[in-house]
Amino acid sequence: MGPAPAGAQHRGTAEEPEMMESALEGPVKEGKRDSSKKRPVAGSPVGLLQPVKLSRAELYKEPTNEELNRLRETESLFHSSLLRLQVEELLKEVRLSEKKKERIDAFLREVNQRIMRVPPTSETELTDQSWLPDGVRVPLHQVPYTVKGCFRFLAPAQVTVVGSYLLGTCIRPDINVDMALTMPREILQDKDGLNQRYFRKRALYLAHLAHHLAQDPLFGSVHFSYTSGCHLKPSLLLRPHGKDKHLVTVRLHPCPPREFFRLCRLLPSKNNVRSAWYRGQSLSGDGSPEPPTPHYNTWVLQDTALESHMQLLSTMLGTASGLKDGVALLKVWLRQRELDKGLGGFSGFIVSMLVAFLVSTRKIHTTMSGYQVLRSILQFLATTDLTVNGISLCSSSDPSLPALADFHQAFPVVFLDPSGHLNLCADVTASTYRQVQHEAQLSMALLDSRADDGFQLLLMTPKPMIRAFDHILHLCPLSRLQAACHRLKLWPELQDHGGDYVSAALGPLTTLLEQGLGSRLHLLAHSRPPVSEWDISQDPPKHRDSRVLTLGLLLRPEGLTSVLELGPEADQPEAAAFRQFWGSRSELRRFQDGAIREAVVWEAASLAQKRLIPHQVVTHLLALHADIPDTCVHYTGGFLDALIQGLKETSSTGEEALAAAVRCYDDLSRMLWGLEGLPLTVSAVQGAHPVLRYTEVFPPTPARPACSFYEHLRERASLLPRPDKPCPAYVEPMTVVCHLEGSGQWPQDAEAIRRVRAAFQLRLAELLMQQHGLQCRATATHTDVLKDGFVFRIRVAYQREPQILRETRSPEGMISLRDTPASLRLERDTKQLPLLTSALHGLQQQHPAFSGVARLAKRWVRAQLLGQEFTDESLDLVAAALFLHPEPFTPPSSPQVGFLRFLFLVSTFDWKNSPLIVNLNNELTAEEQVEIRSVFLATRTQLPVMVIITPQDRKSSVWTQNGPSPQILQRLVVLAAEALPVLEKQLMDPRGPGDIRTVFRPPLDMYDVLIRLTPRHIPRHRQAVDSPAASFCRGLLSEPGPSSLMPVLGYDPPQLYLAQLREAFGDLALFFYDQHGGEVIGVLWKPTSFQPQPLKASNAKGRMVVSQGGELVMVPNVEAILEDFAILGEGLVQAVEARSERWTV
Amino acid sequence: MVARRRKRAARDPEKGLLSPPGYSAIPIKFSEKQQASHHLYVREHRVRGGTKSSWPQKRTLFVLNVPPYCTEECLSRLLSPCGAIQSVQLQEKPDLAESPQEPKSKFFDPKPVPGFRVAYVAFQKPGGLAAALALKGPLLVSTESHPVKSGVHKWIRDYTDSVPDPEALRVDVDTFMETYDKKMAEEEAKAKEEEGVPDEEGWVKVTRRGRRPVLPRTEAASLRVLEREKQKRARKELLNFYAWQHRETKMEHLAQLRKKFEEDKQRIELMRAQRKFRPY
Repeated sequence: MGPAPAGAQHRGTAEEPEMMESALEGPVKEGKRDSSKKRPVAGSPVGLLQPVKLSRAELYKEPTNEELNRLRETESLFHSSLLRLQVEELLKEVRLSEKKKERIDAFLREVNQRIMRVPPTSETELTDQSWLPDGVRVPLHQVPYTVKGCFRFLAPAQVTVVGSYLLGTCIRPDINVDMALTMPREILQDKDGLNQRYFRKRALYLAHLAHHLAQDPLFGSVHFSYTSGCHLKPSLLLRPHGKDKHLVTVRLHPCPPREFFRLCRLLPSKNNVRSAWYRGQSLSGDGSPEPPTPHYNTWVLQDTALESHMQLLSTMLGTASGLKDGVALLKVWLRQRELDKGLGGFSGFIVSMLVAFLVSTRKIHTTMSGYQVLRSILQFLATTDLTVNGISLCSSSDPSLPALADFHQAFPVVFLDPSGHLNLCADVTASTYRQVQHEAQLSMALLDSRADDGFQLLLMTPKPMIRAFDHILHLCPLSRLQAACHRLKLWPELQDHGGDYVSAALGPLTTLLEQGLGSRLHLLAHSRPPVSEWDISQDPPKHRDSRVLTLGLLLRPEGLTSVLELGPEADQPEAAAFRQFWGSRSELRRFQDGAIREAVVWEAASLAQKRLIPHQVVTHLLALHADIPDTCVHYTGGFLDALIQGLKETSSTGEEALAAAVRCYDDLSRMLWGLEGLPLTVSAVQGAHPVLRYTEVFPPTPARPACSFYEHLRERASLLPRPDKPCPAYVEPMTVVCHLEGSGQWPQDAEAIRRVRAAFQLRLAELLMQQHGLQCRATATHTDVLKDGFVFRIRVAYQREPQILRETRSPEGMISLRDTPASLRLERDTKQLPLLTSALHGLQQQHPAFSGVARLAKRWVRAQLLGQEFTDESLDLVAAALFLHPEPFTPPSSPQVGFLRFLFLVSTFDWKNSPLIVNLNNELTAEEQVEIRSVFLATRTQLPVMVIITPQDRKSSVWTQNGPSPQILQRLVVLAAEALPVLEKQLMDPRGPGDIRTVFRPPLDMYDVLIRLTPRHIPRHRQAVDSPAASFCRGLLSEPGPSSLMPVLGYDPPQLYLAQLREAFGDLALFFYDQHGGEVIGVLWKPTSFQPQPLKASNAKGRMVVSQGGELVMVPNVEAILEDFAILGEGLVQAVEARSERWTV
Repeated sequence: MVARRRKRAARDPEKGLLSPPGYSAIPIKFSEKQQASHHLYVREHRVRGGTKSSWPQKRTLFVLNVPPYCTEECLSRLLSPCGAIQSVQLQEKPDLAESPQEPKSKFFDPKPVPGFRVAYVAFQKPGGLAAALALKGPLLVSTESHPVKSGVHKWIRDYTDSVPDPEALRVDVDTFMETYDKKMAEEEAKAKEEEGVPDEEGWVKVTRRGRRPVLPRTEAASLRVLEREKQKRARKELLNFYAWQHRETKMEHLAQLRKKFEEDKQRIELMRAQRKFRPY
């Protein structure tokens, strides 16, 4: 490149630092640059992205070295510049500011001084705790109470700050500073490692300290807590006074002097809690060796290693800011997945050590960026298995060190610290580790897919248990676990865990369930009991006080279809184990291939019941092996099913009924293919109705009309509704598009094509009647066919018709193609709708839960009275997006979790600035998606409010063209945001969800007028959210009757009424109604149309002239309109309630 | 507020109803039972000089704000006391130009759901018009003697009407197709006649039906030709051959990156404004 002009060079260099600065400092400078550079933004609507316009000079100026470097760096260290900026922003958000750091440092110095000033006490026996003042209780369950040894308090030999605060990797909110208090050697005695003596002293040490510090006005609160949830190791929490209350929490951890404990005594195979002491039995000399206490040993070791770990981390991470960024990002990542808290959590400390490990193995370099560190760690977690091949930070090859295998025997997950004695992952259960692994794999897949919003999904989306797992199960009360421990013979574990039966039972229970659920299960995760905090004057909380243990099941959809648990053949030795495992449920069965095998068969007829087999498995196994009765198992998996269950069904959620309708449709399409005597052959038969893609909320039931209930129209073989009877049952015909082959015989004129199509409709009806004896009724646009009680509406289509509607001839005779409303409508109905239907039909075959999710979602939207504003197809596509783009989750396998994610998606998606891309059949490549996004930004203002892109519809978002309006979408977003926490809270409540229909009941207080309808003329009255106990007879027989007359089709008085209302008063008011049995229509006046309008012929509709301030204006004639509501719905309307006076102008 | 409204409504009859200038107002109610009423605003149908109108001058009444339950028959019944009526037509909006001449097929153009409409009422004599303008009302749409169906009864009737008679439909289709075929045949014959015959300036029209068919004159076809030309040219061009080309590609790449960077910055700005960086 040629030498740059001096001016340009100068400008470039001057600007570069500013850009860097602005990225770091905030919006002030950025704003300045904006105003000078991106002028179009100034006048743009708030919160809307605009295409960037840079001048040619800006784009093509000579680059400076800094710019080139930054660009290169971005390319090599980050995935994209967007990601880089996002990461920088996030770090800024979670990092501590310097100002706060200073305040914290000052506070720490104060704390240090206060601790040193705590007075010593005289020596007493450990069991004699009378010296403790009244206001403080020992923060430890001292069971058994008697223990040898003496205790006195002396000020700590050393107070050091350890942990993330010093490293600069702690993240907001809740900043914790860990302080290690080295207890002077005089307090401790030999053999303190035995029988919890050390822990007793530690607790007493804290109790005394707490008593004195609590009197100090410096502290706003002094509490006890458990160090990372471990019940033997309390810690003291200090918070500053007054407005700094939330600034910081200082955690005090007493620890033994260096090299006080001999490491060889604390190997995982050693025992340090004697059975004789623990169980209070005198005889232990019955020959059995003492069980090892690996966890106990680890907890002692952890205290000894606080400082050395700190040193290791500070040398490793020391100056490398990229590594620190990486740790901070990882902490955010863990926290979003709720993995870091509680006993056995995958804490930030473990992750920091993991970074140190990868640095030591040279997989991470100190110059790497935070993003690369995150990626490397995730990659490492995703591809290694620490349950089989543990890792160690210890580099010495001293033969006296214990082998990794020893650790594998004692712990599920192994990651040794540099001393080679301490397992950093000692408390991490196998399930927790599997969950971490699973999350890492998902995240890697996401990063590799180069999705545009990877950052958002990876680090900013919370994954609470209820939304991440298909089914949830609560065990409560937890005291049952104590009995379970005895049933499972877990006495050594109890001894090891110091009586913490919850964590002792956790491992065996999860293993039991994992084995039992087998192929149905993808992943089992458990909640970690929250780390409690209590006042120093109170006893420490009991193990059962965390109240509930929650397990999350991630199901494998392909495993859910089977009702059979196949065991070994009866004569095999494994058969006994199988019988023992399944107890009375195991039975001998003879199979078709002649084998006689042990097997367990679960009762489940429908898909909904099959989905709930895990419930049966879990309750059976827990009762059999762990003595936990089913009253203690609260299974949350199918509560929402009730909302998509048909009237008389309680066992199925309708998938079977939908499949029956689809089978009937398949038969019909075969008939159409084979029809003889049509002048043109059928080229395609395609379904175009929600039933045929499994997303109709209430599947159709075969109609068996009772003739006496109807008026008859004999000559046309049709039934008609009778005015003196209640409205007949609603039968909606299912649309089927039948394409006929192209031919020169088709006319080239739109009107003529319509006539020819009508002729085909008639012919079709005739032939189906003759050849297959089906009852048919033809109209100009469709033929209704009654088959096995289902009614199909066949629409004949001609491929070229949209084309012909589009043709316009210019004056010069040039034929050009222009979209017209008619051509678009036809194209949508005959081309795009069938394509969508078949794509979603395919999706249902891959993901059996799709139907349930889509139907629940639709049900909810309609129950909120917004059903009219959102097309069926748009909601189906949103539901499909949950399956096709589940990141950061996995595709839902139960309607419940899918529905929760639907609410989450709707409430958090940025509809304004991004299109919802639904990549059906994976047809869109990553590049095409990028292209779609940029086109979207460029044409945003011409697109509808809600944009849904599919491979078949890349530009226009067909299904949201006519709505919703911005206000309605906003309303839906608000409703979803409100419903989600309510529903999640209900489902997470171990006492049962209470009234699950709460979030499905619409708020009615916002409407200006309520029109109450009489149930007599609501054909779908029984489908209401709160199904009425009794409704009217709708003229259906329970058995197939002799009648083969065409039932009343699509006759739904509320819908007809609404159509009239919207036509007549659509520009004055909005009408809201739940088509599934709603008894009320909500009317909302449009504020704009209540402004007095000038006198104009086109304004006159429903208005009257009044004089206002001497001027004649037109205002809506509200009294008359309210009476019109009643007139138009005569017979249907029960009452018109005007509820607000807002219309008075 | 409501009380005040009521009072005003009660006062109305004494003051006479308000109406837009040039119009007079006639209250109209569905039946006796209703309290409030809508108002028909009526005036003589007039057009500015020069504009054509199919409605007879001087005896056509133009009616605004016809409520949805008021049908053509109904309006004709209500206004017939003023004088004999020639025709009544209800329309979505005032349409001066022309009323649709050809009668629509009831199978292919079903009646739309009615809203508030406008009406043109042509009286046989101008006197009817004058009487109508002086009408005081209130008019009643549905009376004992002539009940008008609404609500459930209307929907049942509509449903019954919508069950089609296949024979009538067939006849309708056949008649249409016959005329259509005739028309097409005529056009074809005419085209054949003109085939190869030069017009007065000596030009011969080339059509699709000729012995050597040509490309149809469509936009798509011409675009296709252009596209092919472009491809041909692109194939001949050498990429990254000259040094300047090379430099330009690099510069282009840089410009792309810059543009992307600016876009990203804008997005970040927006996200920051929306507090999108609060992880929890």
